[in-house]
Amino acid sequence: MFFIPGPVIAALTFPGVIIHETAHLFFCRLFKLQIFDVCFFRFGNPAGYVIHQQTEDFKAQFFISMGPFFVNTLLCVLFCTAAFLPVWELKVFDPLAYFFYWLGLSIGMHAFPSTTDLSHLWAQAPELAKKGNLLAIVSLPLAAILVVLNYARVVWADLGYGIAVGVLGPMAIFRALAR
Amino acid sequence: MSEGNCRHCGQTFPVRSLFDLNGATFCERCVKVASKEARERRLPSLYMPLISKSICARCNTYIGSASDAMQVGNLRFCAACGPLIKDWDYPQWLKFSLAALLLLLVVALAHGRKYFHAGREMYVGEHLAAEGQYRKALPHLQETLRIAPRSDKAVFLAAKSALLSGDFDSADRALQGHDGGHFENGDEPEFKEVESIWKRAEGALIKAEQANKLADQQGKEIEAARLMHEAATAYPEMPDLAFLAEAYDEGVVFARKDYDAFVTIAEKQWKERPLANTAAALASALGCKFAITGDSSYRQRSEEMLQTARRLAKDNPEAIKGLDEFAERNRYRLDSRKIIDKQEYDRLFRNGKNPSK
Repeated sequence: MFFIPGPVIAALTFPGVIIHETAHLFFCRLFKLQIFDVCFFRFGNPAGYVIHQQTEDFKAQFFISMGPFFVNTLLCVLFCTAAFLPVWELKVFDPLAYFFYWLGLSIGMHAFPSTTDLSHLWAQAPELAKKGNLLAIVSLPLAAILVVLNYARVVWADLGYGIAVGVLGPMAIFRALAR
Repeated sequence: MSEGNCRHCGQTFPVRSLFDLNGATFCERCVKVASKEARERRLPSLYMPLISKSICARCNTYIGSASDAMQVGNLRFCAACGPLIKDWDYPQWLKFSLAALLLLLVVALAHGRKYFHAGREMYVGEHLAAEGQYRKALPHLQETLRIAPRSDKAVFLAAKSALLSGDFDSADRALQGHDGGHFENGDEPEFKEVESIWKRAEGALIKAEQANKLADQQGKEIEAARLMHEAATAYPEMPDLAFLAEAYDEGVVFARKDYDAFVTIAEKQWKERPLANTAAALASALGCKFAITGDSSYRQRSEEMLQTARRLAKDNPEAIKGLDEFAERNRYRLDSRKIIDKQEYDRLFRNGKNPSK
C-alpha cells in the first residue's frame, strides 16, 4: 500500500469534490436550510465543505448527508458506462474514453459522505428506526457500512468503490441489455 | 459575565460550559435531558454552546448583543455575514461547470454509441457461446471485432466460436487481427482453451491436406481415405471433413471394384449435398454398375446425373471444364463397358496428358 497525500488525490480528482459539495448544497437548498459557508474545492482537509443550518427533519438530514453518495455514484456509473467498453472490454485506445473514465472515477471516488455527515444521521436514525421510520431503517446499515468505508480510505477504499461502481455498474447494465 | 445558572438544576457554572436550548440556559448534563424532552414535545431540540451566541457563527467575529446581528435558527451572525447566508446561491462558474458536465455526459454517451453496439454484440455472442450455439454466436462476435479487433475477450470468443463451428478461416482471421496473433498473456485460461482447440483443428487440417495430395496419386486411395477419416475424427466440428472422408471412401471401393458400395456411398452423398461433384460421382458409380451388369437403367440414370451435374455447375467454368473431362471418360465406360481409372484413360487416349489441367 502506498501513501499519496490527500491534497494530491483531491487535486487529481477535483471534479468529484466539486460534485460532492454541489450535491450537499443542492439538497440544503431543496430542503430550504440556511447555508453558512461553502467551499467547493481547496488544497486542504477537508477538500471541500458545506456548512449549513442543522435540522430536526430526518428526511432533510438523510438527503443532505447521503445526497452526494447517490449523486456521485450515479454520475460515476453514467460516465464510466460511456467509457467502460473501450477501456476494459474492447481494449480500444480512445483518449476521449479514458478522459471520461477518469472523470467517472474521480466522481465515484468522492461518493462517500464524511464522518461528520454520517454522525448527524447516526445520532437521529436509531430512535426513528425504532418508531418504524423507513428512511431511518434504511440509513442505519448504509451509514454503518459507509462509516467503515470512510475509515478504510487509508487503504484506498474510496478508489476501490469508484472502480467497483465504474466497472460492475456498466457491466451489469450491458449484460442486462444484452439478454 | 463569567458565570451563569443552569435553568434545570439551578447550579452555577462558567459561561463557557453552558449551553443554549430554545433561549434557555442549561449545564452540559441537563441540556441533554432538556433536548430529549424538547424532541418528545416536538420542539426544536438542537442546542449550542452559550458562548457561540456572542460570536458570528460564520466568521467568528464578536457580536455580543449587537442590534444588527442576525439570528438564523439557533445561530447568530454579524451584519456582514447575515445577508450572505440568506442569499447563498450557486456561483456562476458552478452553473457553467454543471452545464459543461451535462454536455460532456451527452458527448460521452454519443461517443460511446459505437462501443455500446460492439459491446452488446459481444455480450450476445458470449451468451450464445455459453449455450453452445457457436454458429449463431460467430456473426455477433465478428461484428464486435470489426470495431475492436484487439479485444482479447472478443477475439478469444470469436476464435473459439469459429473453431467449434468448423470455420477455421474465421478463427484465423480473428486471431491474426489481434497484433498478428500476438497475445501478451499466454497463461490466461481463455488463451489456453483456444490454443488447444486451434492445435487440434490445425492438426486435422494438415492431415486433410496430406490426404488431398495422396488422393491425386494412383494407388494411394486407401491411405488418403484413412488420413481424411483421422482428420474428421480429430475435428468433428468441421462436417466437411467427414463428408470428404466419405467421398474418399468412394475411391477406396472403386479401387476394390466394389461398385455396389460405390453406388451406395455416392447416392448418400448426393442426398446429403446435391452438388455438381456429388452428381458426377453418382454418375460415375452408376456407369460402373452399367458396365458390370449391362442393366440399361443404370446407364440412363448415369447420363441423367451427368446432365444434372452440368446444370448445377453452369455458373462455374472450372467445374464445367472438369465435367467435360469426366463426361468423355464416362462415355467411354458406358460405350465400352470397360472400367478404367483416369490415369489409365489418360495413358491410353490422351498420351498421358491430363486435359483438366
